[in-house]
Amino acid sequence: MSFKVIPKVAMPEWIERLCTGYRVVGPKPLHGQHIFGDIQSAVELDLGYPTTVIPPKKYLLPQREELIRFKTDGSQVHVETVIEAKPTVVLGIHTCDLHAIQLLDRVFQQGYSDQHYQAHRENTYLVSIECLQPCIPHSFCKSMGTLSVTNGFDLHLTDIGDDYAVDIETKKGARLLDGFSAARDVTDEDYRLFNRVLSDKWARFPLRLDFDITELPSLLSVSYENKLWDELGERCLACGMCTNVCPTCYCFNVTDEVDFTLSAGQRTRVWDSCQLDKFATVSGGHNFRASRAQRQRHRFFRKGKYQMETYGLLGCVGCGRCGQACLADINMVDTLNDLYHRHANDRE
Amino acid sequence: MSAKPKVAFFDFTSCEGCQLTVIDSLQTHPEILDVIDIVCFREAMSEKGDDYQIAFIEGSCTRPSDEPVMKAIRDRAELVVALGACAHLGGINAIRNRFDLDDVRQYVYGDKAEWYETYQARPIKDVIPIDAVLPGCPIDRREFVAALKALLQGRAIQIPDYPVCVECKLKENICVYLRGKTCLGPITRAGCDAICPTYGDGCEGCRGLIPDPNIDSLKQILSEHGLNPEETLAKMTLFLNYQTMEREAVDDG
Repeated sequence: MSFKVIPKVAMPEWIERLCTGYRVVGPKPLHGQHIFGDIQSAVELDLGYPTTVIPPKKYLLPQREELIRFKTDGSQVHVETVIEAKPTVVLGIHTCDLHAIQLLDRVFQQGYSDQHYQAHRENTYLVSIECLQPCIPHSFCKSMGTLSVTNGFDLHLTDIGDDYAVDIETKKGARLLDGFSAARDVTDEDYRLFNRVLSDKWARFPLRLDFDITELPSLLSVSYENKLWDELGERCLACGMCTNVCPTCYCFNVTDEVDFTLSAGQRTRVWDSCQLDKFATVSGGHNFRASRAQRQRHRFFRKGKYQMETYGLLGCVGCGRCGQACLADINMVDTLNDLYHRHANDRE
Repeated sequence: MSAKPKVAFFDFTSCEGCQLTVIDSLQTHPEILDVIDIVCFREAMSEKGDDYQIAFIEGSCTRPSDEPVMKAIRDRAELVVALGACAHLGGINAIRNRFDLDDVRQYVYGDKAEWYETYQARPIKDVIPIDAVLPGCPIDRREFVAALKALLQGRAIQIPDYPVCVECKLKENICVYLRGKTCLGPITRAGCDAICPTYGDGCEGCRGLIPDPNIDSLKQILSEHGLNPEETLAKMTLFLNYQTMEREAVDDG
């Protein structure tokens, strides 16, 4: 839509202004890691963060969310839908996580539209930031094609030295700059810096997959019976950390809780994980993915094949969080490369 | 349910901290007393009734004379719920099961050792059939409240069958392994809202093992994080000794 420039020295003022009208959240340090949390002033914000424990999807699909409240007087049941979504600015979203939100949008908005997700989405302002340095050893965004972004944000920041270049994509994004006079027009020198920063960054990021990502769905198709899944199953703790830190996982469980009158209560959804022992247990007690190996295989197939078939996007954005969180060091890059080489060797 | 169900609390070998958590629940949820009648609760009241439908039992069975008392409770109650780690797992009382009992008695009671009839500590399920468990040292207050509601609705008590890591990650805690410590969270049943990791300590396993825990893999991880076999065994036998010895007996420790 248009470009502006925010001098870094004016960031505190911008954030202060945003805080008067919105809930503002962004990356901040915690015990040597980073999490997305509420920001009251610029000193709390660390836009140079490597990654966060949980991705910013938690603002669109909270870990726990009340869906409805219900009560009955014995003859009738009254149900009230609960939608609590206040205008929230998410600052500093990495491009991998922004790609993930594009997938979540398709999941929750195609066909039956999830009104709770929709309400959060409409009230959330996505301010992404261009990654200029590799973040964590497990990330492989360049191989996944998520190292940059052309749309899907409201504002997109690029660090060009003393200033942030701001790509204003939507009217929502433009609103965040309303009346903020420090955001100035772009000069030729700004464009020169911007282009140089963008062209220089690519060489710093390694390509970490040994094959082209467009081959992933077909690689998985021929790998269903591979022994690798059993090997992963031996190591996997089935703790669900990989899915709980994943920016594209969206499975949830729904539970009802009543108060002591036993006639009123609420329905809540909570993140669930396909890696947990009972996730695929159905009525009658049959568990159709009873082994850890089957569940790990399912996760990789979801990420690399099923999502592509259903939504037209890969289910992995290369953020590396699952590999970083896994105590047994099960990670996407090693697993996918291993599969590729085993398959290549089988063909020889 | 028309009349208020009558509920009784009992304790065997334990610190009675789980019953303190129950008393705490009555303070935060006084409406509990509108829906149940507590007829026996030594820690909280003087009256003693022996007409009850639901019995909550804290503590493990650690001596022969515990057995007839537990069996009498079982005979009177329609539902028996094990309250906390001692009743559920034998608790830390079961640490002694790994040692010679005469030595243990001598160590604890000195020259009065023969006064005490103590034997191996057992979870109450090994003495009487039980209907449900509320795990933890102590029990989790919210879980107790949810369990009462389930019983009042005539539903089974649901406790999580997934590990502590799930609740820990949902709270976005920094993994204690990344903070230079070790943790039994990956093999321990959730339901405590990951309270120990939330305050920076590793999980000690007080809520017992999840179904199908990957203990071999966790032992490998503990060793990679600097624990020697003795330290690993100490971790696996603090709250989990009874379960660990059961697994060792079938060569799966």
